[in-house]
Amino acid sequence: MDKFLFLLGEGLKNLWRHKLTVFTAVFSVFLSLSTIGILFIAEQNTHKLIEYMRSKYKIEVFFNDTVTNEQASQYVQKIRMIEGVYTTTLISKEEALKVYESQFGNDLTEFLDYNPLPASCVVNIKRKYDGYLKITPIIEQIKNIEGVDTVNHQGRLIRRIEGFYEKGLLGLSGIAFAIILVTVMIISNTIKLTIYANKDLIKALRIIGATNTFIRMPFILEGVFQGIIGTILASGLLYGTVYGANELLRQMTTFTVNVQWMFLSWLFLIAMVISLFGSSRAISKFLK
Amino acid sequence: MIQLKNVSFTYRKGFSLANIDLTIDDGEFVFLIGPTGSGKTSLLRLLHMDIFPDSGRVTIGKFDSDSIKKRKIPALRRTIGMVSQNYHLLDDRNLFENVALPLHVLGRNQDEIVDAVEAALEEVGLSGLEDHYPQELSGGEQQRACLARALIKDPEIILADEPTGNLDPVTSFDLIKLLEEINSEGTTVFMASHNYSLIKSRNHRIVEIHGGKLRAT
Repeated sequence: MDKFLFLLGEGLKNLWRHKLTVFTAVFSVFLSLSTIGILFIAEQNTHKLIEYMRSKYKIEVFFNDTVTNEQASQYVQKIRMIEGVYTTTLISKEEALKVYESQFGNDLTEFLDYNPLPASCVVNIKRKYDGYLKITPIIEQIKNIEGVDTVNHQGRLIRRIEGFYEKGLLGLSGIAFAIILVTVMIISNTIKLTIYANKDLIKALRIIGATNTFIRMPFILEGVFQGIIGTILASGLLYGTVYGANELLRQMTTFTVNVQWMFLSWLFLIAMVISLFGSSRAISKFLK
Repeated sequence: MIQLKNVSFTYRKGFSLANIDLTIDDGEFVFLIGPTGSGKTSLLRLLHMDIFPDSGRVTIGKFDSDSIKKRKIPALRRTIGMVSQNYHLLDDRNLFENVALPLHVLGRNQDEIVDAVEAALEEVGLSGLEDHYPQELSGGEQQRACLARALIKDPEIILADEPTGNLDPVTSFDLIKLLEEINSEGTTVFMASHNYSLIKSRNHRIVEIHGGKLRAT
């Protein structure tokens, strides 16, 4: 316990002893976590956007002229069973006629003596985002249902929007990964500089019989403290930015930036991994 | 007991120690004399297991160069107090913190550390200078601080590598007397020096080294 407290104290004192390198490392963690945090918040809110877009996607299904309202109702049940379909609304032949009348002001039956409009159905797809929406299989399954004549959809547009979103997501993940990698390198190098500056201490510790763990621990703890400070600063910045952005948005729109603040604990975890990995890497190379 | 049996060691740059045979009994005081570059430091490094022989065997108490595992080397070094010409004191810590360092390595509590540091500083005549930093001490004081740091863990052996190298004759003589006092309490002392005039009058065994080979004296 006394040994642990001593090493903990050394880790804390090192923050002051190695001010310049600590500043560099803390600043790197702060910048890295702030960027990752902003990317995460952006990703969470574009989720909301993609779900909104999906609520607007509609597939119009027209049945053959010969299909009766009762048959159409059965086919609609089949459409509802297709995976990815959220709601279906049956428009009977009579309802279609009413819509026509309300839009064009004419009663078609007066000219033709019969109702030429087919029964149809409006299909809404699932909004909840859980990956890339595969619209083509849904359309294919609808087309294969008996009695379906025509399917109108914006499949190409949907595919482009979703594809763009997926690529963006992949790009953001790549950027986040690169940032983490660069930060590990920066921390590792700053701690290497610290270790090099403390080669007398390491030599003295070796002479008096300190184990490698004992020599290593204050440097690793120093790295962990740097991670904690970097996370606190980044969390403050992210909270302030979201709060400020929402204050501004509230004056202009009803849209607000939503954040699940639990993600800060993930940021903390990332910082710990970055710091631990960076400092262990540096000291291990030195103690070989 | 310290024992080197037919030990040879060659550096990559070419210098070598050849067929060293030496035994030092527990509680003995032995001088190692030789000119600069004769292999004194290399011999002490072998005893500290900082380097390992290419052939032959080094034995320090229960530790043996043939069989010691890397993780056991710190345990060996805890039985040895190392004093060198360059002191290896830490400039960013005061005298108290420098001398206390070995006890932190051993995991002692703060009260024990305070008592032990006071006793060690008193033994080397540095009481009252606890708050001073190394750069505020004279060469002789720094060397005694280094000795206090070596003594604080109660070592079985003191290895001293040219401890008087940077000191004036009077301070050097005082340091040797101090080492003799420590030796009189049962600690084995093995001290390397190139200054024959300093050690010839002391009544201890002298081992001579030249060009990496021991000579009988």
